[in-house]
Amino acid sequence: MTGGLQRVASTILLVGVSFLLTALILWVSGYRVGDVFSGVIQGSMTATGAATSSIRWAIPLLLIGMGVVIGFRAGFFNIGGQGQFYVGACSALVVTLGWRGGPAPLVVLCGTLAAVIAGLTWSLLPGYLRVRFGTDEVLTTLMMSFIGALVLQYLTAGPLRNPSGTGQTAASERIPEAFRITDSSGVSATVLLLVGGVAVLVWLLLERTRFGLAMTLVGRNPTMARWQGVDVRRVGLVNFALSGALAGLAGAVELYGPAGRLVTGFSPEVGFTAVVVALVGLLSVGGTVVAAVFFGGLQSAILFLPIVTDLPPPALVLLHGMVAFLVTVKFRAVRLRRTGPASEAPTG
Amino acid sequence: MEQILATTLRSAAPLVLVATAGVFAFRAGIFHLGLEGLMITGAFTTVAVAEATGSVELGILAAIGVCMALSAVYWWVIGPLGANVIIAGLGLTSIGLGGTAFALGAIFDRRGSLFTDVVLPRPVSGITSGPGVIVSEHSILVWLTPLIVLAAWVVLRRSRFGLRLAAAGEYPFAARTAGVNPSIMRLQALLIAGALCALGGAELSVGALHNFTENMTNGRGFIAFVAVIFGAWHPIGAAFAGLFFGFADAIGIQSQINITERVPREFVLMIPFVLTIFAVWLGGLWRRRSLEAEAGYAELREPDY
Amino acid sequence: MTVPSSPASAGVPAVRCRSLGVSFGSVRALHRVSLDLAPGRIHALVGQNGAGKTTLAKVLGGLQAPDTGDVHIAGREIPPGDVRAARAAGLAMVHQHFSLPPSFTVAEALELTAARPGGRPLYRRNELHRRWRDDVAEIGGEAVLSTRIRDLPVETRQSLEIVRAMAADARILMLDEPTALLTPAAIDALFERLRRLREDGVTILVVLHKLREVAAVADTVSVLRDGELVLGPNEMSEVSQGRLSDAIVGPASQADRAVGVEAAPGAEQQTLLELARVSSRASAFEPGLGGIDLSVEAGEIVGIAGVEGNGQRSLVSVIAGLNAVTEGSVLLGGTDVTRAPPARRRRRGLRLVPFDRNSEGISRRAPLWLNQSALRLIGRRRRRLPLISLRQYKRQAATEMDQWRVRYDAVTQPAESLSGGNVQRLILSRELAPGLQVLVAAQPTRGLDFSATSFVRRSLRGLRDAGAGVLLVSSDLDELFELSDRVLVIYGGRIVAGFEAPYERRAVGDAMTGARR
Repeated sequence: MTGGLQRVASTILLVGVSFLLTALILWVSGYRVGDVFSGVIQGSMTATGAATSSIRWAIPLLLIGMGVVIGFRAGFFNIGGQGQFYVGACSALVVTLGWRGGPAPLVVLCGTLAAVIAGLTWSLLPGYLRVRFGTDEVLTTLMMSFIGALVLQYLTAGPLRNPSGTGQTAASERIPEAFRITDSSGVSATVLLLVGGVAVLVWLLLERTRFGLAMTLVGRNPTMARWQGVDVRRVGLVNFALSGALAGLAGAVELYGPAGRLVTGFSPEVGFTAVVVALVGLLSVGGTVVAAVFFGGLQSAILFLPIVTDLPPPALVLLHGMVAFLVTVKFRAVRLRRTGPASEAPTG
Repeated sequence: MEQILATTLRSAAPLVLVATAGVFAFRAGIFHLGLEGLMITGAFTTVAVAEATGSVELGILAAIGVCMALSAVYWWVIGPLGANVIIAGLGLTSIGLGGTAFALGAIFDRRGSLFTDVVLPRPVSGITSGPGVIVSEHSILVWLTPLIVLAAWVVLRRSRFGLRLAAAGEYPFAARTAGVNPSIMRLQALLIAGALCALGGAELSVGALHNFTENMTNGRGFIAFVAVIFGAWHPIGAAFAGLFFGFADAIGIQSQINITERVPREFVLMIPFVLTIFAVWLGGLWRRRSLEAEAGYAELREPDY
Repeated sequence: MTVPSSPASAGVPAVRCRSLGVSFGSVRALHRVSLDLAPGRIHALVGQNGAGKTTLAKVLGGLQAPDTGDVHIAGREIPPGDVRAARAAGLAMVHQHFSLPPSFTVAEALELTAARPGGRPLYRRNELHRRWRDDVAEIGGEAVLSTRIRDLPVETRQSLEIVRAMAADARILMLDEPTALLTPAAIDALFERLRRLREDGVTILVVLHKLREVAAVADTVSVLRDGELVLGPNEMSEVSQGRLSDAIVGPASQADRAVGVEAAPGAEQQTLLELARVSSRASAFEPGLGGIDLSVEAGEIVGIAGVEGNGQRSLVSVIAGLNAVTEGSVLLGGTDVTRAPPARRRRRGLRLVPFDRNSEGISRRAPLWLNQSALRLIGRRRRRLPLISLRQYKRQAATEMDQWRVRYDAVTQPAESLSGGNVQRLILSRELAPGLQVLVAAQPTRGLDFSATSFVRRSLRGLRDAGAGVLLVSSDLDELFELSDRVLVIYGGRIVAGFEAPYERRAVGDAMTGARR
């Protein structure tokens, strides 16, 4: 397992380098890095409510990130988590506001189901184009993401807008308190059980079922998988469906949990951050849990930071960009640069 | 109608410039998702330097320099360091979007946007009626765009440099056989792409408008990327695809003014993205045939990044 | 510029290298190789897979910098890894893989890859055509210049590679396994071409696989084994076939025993595989099938001969269920599977050795155990719980790979770390597992060295003796004649002739080229 350890070490190193580079930029821009650092520690762990807040931000990252892990396992760059997350949240909102009087558990269940189906649909369209026509999924999932953001904007600014709202960004009505599964902290036993259960199920699916192994085979070499009798199209469709379902579920959890209403363009970076989380988590379920908590902590801290410094929130986007930019660097490539076996054409 | 055509040219120019950048990257075999980040970096740097020095030329030069430097780093990361092209590209985009928004706050102590009076010259202006409206009020960069596209065509399709670039992208083994280092060709393509992205960003901020706004590119880098695919990796094709997306944008802007009452604005704004999905789908169908014919080569293609 | 150099001056070897060494990580590709090649002759270089032939060719051509040693071409020292310098010294290379980009036109490809002076940075189309018109006279004239490389037939591509190599008036031509993709007729034409070049005073170094081809064309022969030069260059007349074989295989290598093959012979059903008037659509490479009738009985090997690209791929894909049948029916063990998905056919005992080991047979980046277990992923579910034990999978994979003597360190290592022969053993260990009824083996020995080839052939024979049916698709007539009980010839997507032993080489060849219907 030295290969595995090496990958963990190199990922930690690369994330560290990304943080150093970002710190360097902050320092050059005249911020006191020490203050920012202690602010991050406070805002993610030590301040009152900070740890809870870290978990609260980790939950959507974890759910969407696991979808990304599933996608990458079969070789798909399903990077449209943002849009799937939005349409999930929107569907749950529509169901909930449309059935205000219903019994709370049933409404929440239906709303969650609607969210899962919506996220799944949003992901299946690019998935279908991919497996049926070979349409590149990187761009289509990205475009579906933009469209999902507009759907949210339309609903929150249009039909579901809270008419008494006064903020400059449009927001929907609040859902009745009875339907919330957490208080505004966003963390409760229900949510933790749900997310933990989902993580275990995803792990079992990927690592302990024949379908999961078939996914790996498709991800590594679809041609060979086809020759071996694996139904590559079915694997692809199920894969996209699962990714989307998880992102949709994240949307429902967000609505019934901490948010209670939807605001135009909320959590705009969560989809991309989830990709970063999955990559930092080495595309494994366990690693993704750790990475999600870590990046959830950063998210929590950046919201806390204006209290201690005047650091603009886009600094976090910059940091995420840095990590994404560097996290896939392969050290092996550096070492063998001169005479890699890759420079020898494959012989039979 | 004249107004729509004028808006089309204005919307299309940055798209076409960035699409041309994308063609260079694509020809060299790079699926460049960092175009958006480079574009916004170009827009910001131009405004920032122009505002600081009072010279728009200096602003554009600085933008070209910054974008080329970022492109070189991107090359270093995906080439010698072996990072994933797509993920690093998306990372570059986030660095651009986050970095410019951060710098806006950190350097200018502003949130949202930064205005400037230093803008690009407009060779023809002041025409308010008749067909002349179409060509009026465009910055010099809009006028230069067709020349740039033509130059790109000559370089890519009628020069030995273009042959080497295409070989490096399509079949690195062939390039090496011809004594060409594919990695260096990719660097050159990325540098050219960086410069073109800087121009596209500059047109957006000091050509069509007078300001830099956070996230002002608003997905244009990605749409330009799609124009590349829609235009079959060909500079002229990509330019026409860019023009078409500019037209769709213009209609969107017009209908925002005219028919917002009946059609929600969001649905109009969705049009480019929906069209984009169609374009990728159709472009993929079109390209698949040629890919199938090349499938015999696929196994010989070296994973060379 | 002061020293007048005449490349072919007597006494100066055309190619001389001294103690070349190249390592890839821990793998020693070349070790202390020193070689002198006399000008104006055809030199053959032979050796098993992985013996270092391609690496040596690359080092000589400047595509690979050696760790130690130096290379002199026509008396001039070549800086390590400098393609242009090697070329300037008069050396040209034809690679094992085609070196022309598929989307380029012939003119563009020549302009890119041939080092002909006088090219300006910018060009016009007809200017290019003027530049290259004379060079392509032999392969179709000016019309071919605007054809895209990917649209050219394989033979023309090969010829074009030589045209490209000779365009800069090369005095030394190196060819790395040029015969791998060619038909017997095209190989003869190629050798004729080489002899003509020799008459013009060109020195030729050709890497070959088959001793028959070496005997047909070479003046001298050299043998590489495990990265070392163990023989030569010797005049062909001085070395016996037997000594050559010994040098290639080496003294320590003993022949494998055939591995016992379990097959479940169809007791009641004698016809294991049957195709009745099967047609399919053409692909980009190949004609579709045009009403193929074919049956494989229990306990026989049916050979399919044919020039590559005549529907072999379509045939195997149709049997595997990867290509749709437009007409006719496919029966496996008497059951109609015409519309059945690949998985169901596999479960019915259809096993496949695909054309391309590395892209279709294995997943290079997946671990060995997963490659070995692939068929178990689609097997019918026996237990109620969908969960599996990875440890059990790995143990079973290890057991089966050991049984087939796959050489590996750990079941978790990626399959790309195996050599060609070992990859084929891995595939056989998977496909020849119990439950086999019919094996469709496509080019099962292509590119394998001598010992691996004979191992695969023994395994196929063992399979037949155990009562299974084998459909053997091969472009190697010797192999087909050696193994098959019957040989069918496929031409243009149809079976045009059938033969039984003793085979008449000429007649089969005529049927393959369409000379006889």
